[in-house]
Formats: sequence, structure tokens, C-alpha cells
Amino acid sequence: MNRESLLVDTLVELADNLVDNYDVIDVLTLLSDRCVETIDVAAAGVMLGLPGGALQFVASSNESMRVLELFQIQANEGPCVDCYADGVAIINHELVDPDERWPLFTPRAIAQGFHSVHCLPMRLRGRTIGALNLFRDDVGLLTPSDVVVAQGLADVATIAILQHESTTSARLLNTQLSFALNSRIIIEQAKGMISQSATCTMDDAFARLRTYVRNHNLRLTDVATDVVGGSLRVGTLDRPK
Amino acid sequence: MGGYRCPGVNEVQVRAKPSGLSFVTPIDGRTGRISQTRRTRPRLCVLSSSVVVRCTRLDRLATTGSKLDGPTMFSERLLAIFAMMAAHERGGGERGILCSVAKEVTGVDATSIALSIDDASLIGYCASDAMARSLVDLEITVGEGPCSQAVLTDSVVTCADLRAPGVDWMLFTPEAVGLGARSLVAVPIRIGVIRYGALCFYNVEPGELSDEQSADILLMATVVGRGIVALQAGVEPETLSEELQSEAAFDFSVHQAAGMVAVQASISISNALVSLRMHAFALSEAIADVAARVIARELHFDPRIQEWIET
Repeated sequence: MNRESLLVDTLVELADNLVDNYDVIDVLTLLSDRCVETIDVAAAGVMLGLPGGALQFVASSNESMRVLELFQIQANEGPCVDCYADGVAIINHELVDPDERWPLFTPRAIAQGFHSVHCLPMRLRGRTIGALNLFRDDVGLLTPSDVVVAQGLADVATIAILQHESTTSARLLNTQLSFALNSRIIIEQAKGMISQSATCTMDDAFARLRTYVRNHNLRLTDVATDVVGGSLRVGTLDRPK
Repeated sequence: MGGYRCPGVNEVQVRAKPSGLSFVTPIDGRTGRISQTRRTRPRLCVLSSSVVVRCTRLDRLATTGSKLDGPTMFSERLLAIFAMMAAHERGGGERGILCSVAKEVTGVDATSIALSIDDASLIGYCASDAMARSLVDLEITVGEGPCSQAVLTDSVVTCADLRAPGVDWMLFTPEAVGLGARSLVAVPIRIGVIRYGALCFYNVEPGELSDEQSADILLMATVVGRGIVALQAGVEPETLSEELQSEAAFDFSVHQAAGMVAVQASISISNALVSLRMHAFALSEAIADVAARVIARELHFDPRIQEWIET
């Protein structure tokens, strides 16, 4: 499938998902997956922040520690932090150690096999609410058209935060942001419980959640809430195929 | 700000962003502060002798976390909140500190915090003044109101004018107006699935909060949430601001580890989070480090002997 078709499919799928009562973490995860496919990067993820709060990881194409660790570091330092603070995209930043700019992030990213990083700001009404972070493991640069696509996907991600609200008041946006951030925490709590009960990796735990959500047409956060609350037994979650 | 001292450290290397310039500068031995530097603000505090303090843009200040971690970035807003807490702690505010700070940060007329027990009933935790105290007591007495609604629906509850027709809470509203409240916002205090209660902001005039206030109320709710975990884990109220400032915000590993411990010990996720924090205290480690070891299965809680076991 050529890139154009992939992109059209992606946009249709996202539009399909952005209907009543969608789960924001699920949509952002889907978006991260599609980033990887349409822009030929190895991994993609989203970080969000409340004004005055810490930047927090909310979704990724890859839930392995290899990638999540890099978001962990980016609570303090890294492309997402800079992109979020300045509202300016970081494109084709080649990872070279030592790095004065990101002394902790860069060596870890290199150790995980990544060659370059890119970050697109998620902006709404003149405000940056988060960042879409991309990692390449090949040598080579993103093309200008890649960048256009990436920023477009970042813009869709931004709109997804608003949920079904049509107004874009700062108040509402902050509330929705806070809701998205808390939803991610629920999912992490559930991952921990599943990982312990089923003796599997966190990666696998997330996959089980997602598989159950797909198979039963439910919302990711709702299922995670039920797992943590005890009303949905971990054993009931289907193993991903 | 801060005022942390580092015995034995008499100079640090400072990296200024966004220029990337770095330079060595002396620390004032008495205050532990960097006195005069180019491109930095004088309000940087060094908490650890081994980590470089970085200053970023003018609206972000960095303080270092534990000696093991890299610097922990707190925004100026959060640092201002911690500074207000510290000031109130010095004044002996005790329990009322969180409410007083919530009021000071946002500039509203009154605030209250109510905690939920078993997701059902509320109890008053603190109030910034007599009016707020009466409003919380009222809500508890009549069994309805903004705080309980915020907790039940897990959403921010707003009322711009309690006198407007069609307002909810038939039992609460007329009485609340009588007590002097005219508008309010209740924010749920939560960490994932855990619902601690609600933080309520009251004004004596009708109207909505500003954009800035709306951001601050959410920020305050996260601080209160972390504060409650700390207090449950045994932190002394008068050291709360220092504790919160020295621990990073809980990253996802802490929540994952809490989930694991909840299953290991057959306890609620809320108790698991507190246990994790208590163990981190006992070991003098950062909670994120303890969490990492739990996730790596190097540390777990054995419910049969009620002990933490290292493997």
C-alpha cells in the first residue's frame, strides 16, 4: 500500500474512532501505531502536560520498557521537554553521545538502538499541550512530506484530547487534559495488576487489555478500571493472538 | 525558595538553556544558593552535591532530586505552591495548610477538602475559614453537593451562580447561598482509580474561574493527592512541602508497581501505593527506584509473613 493510501486509511479510521464516547488513550495509542506505519519510524509516543504540571507519558506504539524508559527520562529532559516548552518542532535530530543538550536521554536512546529523534508540538489556540515523539532506528532523515504528515497526525491527536466537546475554552481543555492524564494512570495500575496475576510483561499486560477491549467493543479505560477495581478478573482477559 | 544546604560543595557547574552554555559558578556557603550568574536567576537551589543544577527558560526552574537521579524539573507554578506550603508549615498551619495554600494560589474566597470513605460518605478534612467549614459540613449533613458529585462522577463540577434557576442540589444550594457562597468549583482528587475526595473552591460573587485559575485548581488537586499519599505513609505534616518537592511526580512505574503489590498482598491499589511509599521511606530510596525493583521482580511483598522480600 502506498503512503497516500495508508494515510487516507488512517484518517478515516481516526475519524471513525472520534465519535461519541471514545477512549482518548485508545485513540492516541492507535494514532501512535499509525505514525509508525505511515512515516516509517520505529516508535512513536505522546506526552501531555497540564499547565504548571509535569510532562507525562500517555500513549505509545510500543509498550516495551525499551521505549517507555525513554518517556520516563523525558519527564525531566529530552526532545519532548524542549518541544513542549518552546512549541517548536524538532526534526532529524541525530543522536550523538555525549550530548550537552540531553545528557541523560541521548545515551539511553542510543543504547536502545535509536538513531534519530523528532518531536512535533501538539498545539491548540496558541498553547502547547503536549508533544508527539518519533524515533528512527535507521540512518536517514525524515523528508519534508514526512514532517507534514507527522504534524498533521499531531494535530489530530490534539483534537482527540477535546473528546466530544466542540468549544475550545482553556478551562475545558485543561479538564480534558487532566482526564486523559488520569486515564493513563488507571491503565498503568491495571497493567501492574495483570502483569503480577498473569506473570507476564507489562507489554503483554497492555496487549491483553487491548485485545479484550477489541473483542468486547468496550472502552480501554473502563476495562482497566474494572480490572483494578476487581470486578473484571485478570483470568478473563483473553491472551492476544 | 528552598534554602537547602550542601555541606562540602562550594561550586557547581551550571548549564544554561537554551544557549547550552555551561560554566562553573560559586555557591554561597551559607545559603547554598548560586549568587550571581549570567543568564540564570539567582533562585536556584542545589539539593544534592553530585548533580548539576540546570536552569532552563525563565519560567522554569530546576531543582535536583536524589543523588542517584537526574534533575527533577518542577515548573515555577509548582515551586510557588511548595514555597507557600513551606511558609504555612513554618507558621504552624498543620492540617489546614493544603486548604490555605489552595486559596492563596488561586485567589478564591474560600476552599475546603473533603475525603471520601469507601467511595460513599465524605468527611471534612480541612477548610480555609469558617464559611468553607460550614459549607463542607452542610454537604455532609444533607448528603449532596458539589464535592460528593465531583467524587461520584469523577469530574470537575462547576456552578457559576448558585442563585440561578435550575441549579442542582435542592437541599444544599439554598443553604449554601445563605452561608455566603455564590459560585463554586469542585475538583476530584484522584490517582488513577483511587478516589481520595474533592477539593472545593468557593467565591462569594457569581462568575466563572479564569483560565489561569482553572489550571491552578487541577494542579492543586494533584498536589493534594500526592500529599495525602505522603501523609498516609507517615510523613509529618510540617515537612510535607519538603517531601513533595524532593520526590518526583509519580511516573508510570510507580503505578505499575502499585498494581503488582496490590495483587501480591491482596490489598487495594490505594493501600499498595501507600505501602510502596512507606517502604521507600524505610529504605531511604526514591519511590521510583523501589518501583523499578518491584517491576524487575527484584523486590516483592510476601503477604504470608507480611514482609518485603528482596530476590
